[in-house]
Amino acid sequence: MAYSEKVIDHYNNPRNMGSFKKEEEGVGTGIVGAPECGDVMKLQIKVENDTIVDAKFKTFGCGSAIASSSLATEWLKGKTVEEAGNIKNTEIVQELNLPPVKIHCSVLAEDAIKSALNDYKKKAEESPKVESVATSS
Amino acid sequence: MAHDHGTHTSFRELPMARSMCWHCQSEVTGEYKCGQCVKVQPLSKDLDYFTCMRLPRLLNIQPEKLQSTFYELSRTFHPDFYSNKDDQEQIISLGNSALLNTAYRTLKDPVQRAEYLIRLEAGAVKQIRSNPPADLFDEILELQEDLDEYRSLSQEKNIERIEELRKKLNVSREALEQRQVQMELSLTSKFDEWDTIQIASPESDDARGKKDAVLKEMQEILSDKTYVRNIVNDLIETAD
Repeated sequence: MAYSEKVIDHYNNPRNMGSFKKEEEGVGTGIVGAPECGDVMKLQIKVENDTIVDAKFKTFGCGSAIASSSLATEWLKGKTVEEAGNIKNTEIVQELNLPPVKIHCSVLAEDAIKSALNDYKKKAEESPKVESVATSS
Repeated sequence: MAHDHGTHTSFRELPMARSMCWHCQSEVTGEYKCGQCVKVQPLSKDLDYFTCMRLPRLLNIQPEKLQSTFYELSRTFHPDFYSNKDDQEQIISLGNSALLNTAYRTLKDPVQRAEYLIRLEAGAVKQIRSNPPADLFDEILELQEDLDEYRSLSQEKNIERIEELRKKLNVSREALEQRQVQMELSLTSKFDEWDTIQIASPESDDARGKKDAVLKEMQEILSDKTYVRNIVNDLIETAD
């Protein structure tokens, strides 16, 4: 099975690889895994004024999983927290041309986004000292 | 044991794909070969591996029994016995043998056996998406970072750091391998739990709930095992 060009591009030049400190203000961390293949994905967002100003990922897994999370961080930047919650795995599948056997990689990326957003929201609720915790809901 | 089939196991236990002989259209009475024209008949596609190997749906199995059933059925279906027969019979014997082989291999290995049982019972436990073990993931990602650094270091300049990392990674690897052993032990300890419920009253609602719980626990162990196996393989590949 051949990877699409876009997957290979993300795999060779992953965008936004790295991590933030978990405790840092405005940082939401999502760590998820795919039990079928053993892939592990960590995705983090940094939020200021309800907007995602930066995103980073670290993925241990196959090319499609790396590409999916790399793409996800690209898409996350500049989005509001609410908009970010609307990213769907099917969009990732389309953009990267993932074959059916690799769809679970995109699901993993969507799960990671959700998990990071939840973590951020939870943290924001717990420490309302931040000047503008605008959780628009 | 309630599920013992006794010694007089007849030839006619496995369900066939059709009730009529594909060749002479006479009714197949359950034999693997048509009573009229003696042509071999295809096994049912819905046959699960436990039924196929004439085993009750339990996780502790007697390997000798599995093997003897496999040999016995192979004597009936092996393609070697059909090399002089017509094409259709060869195809059927090939299909039946392929099923036998997969069933045998799957049930022989305890881990594959457990995975198969979970798949088989999946209707009830489809929603088991196990809660991710956060500490394990953190550990894996940290090791992954060390591995990245290890790979990126050049041999000449960083001998000391390389040695240091190699030692650290090997210590981690040993710990993880220990953990794999532990995981297999805890998996097989679930086998007894499953079998106890299965033997006592497999059909009751109460048993269904208990069985799903055991399946879920096994699924979690198997998932964690996959995560650990992947990182261990990576460690062996890179820093051995």
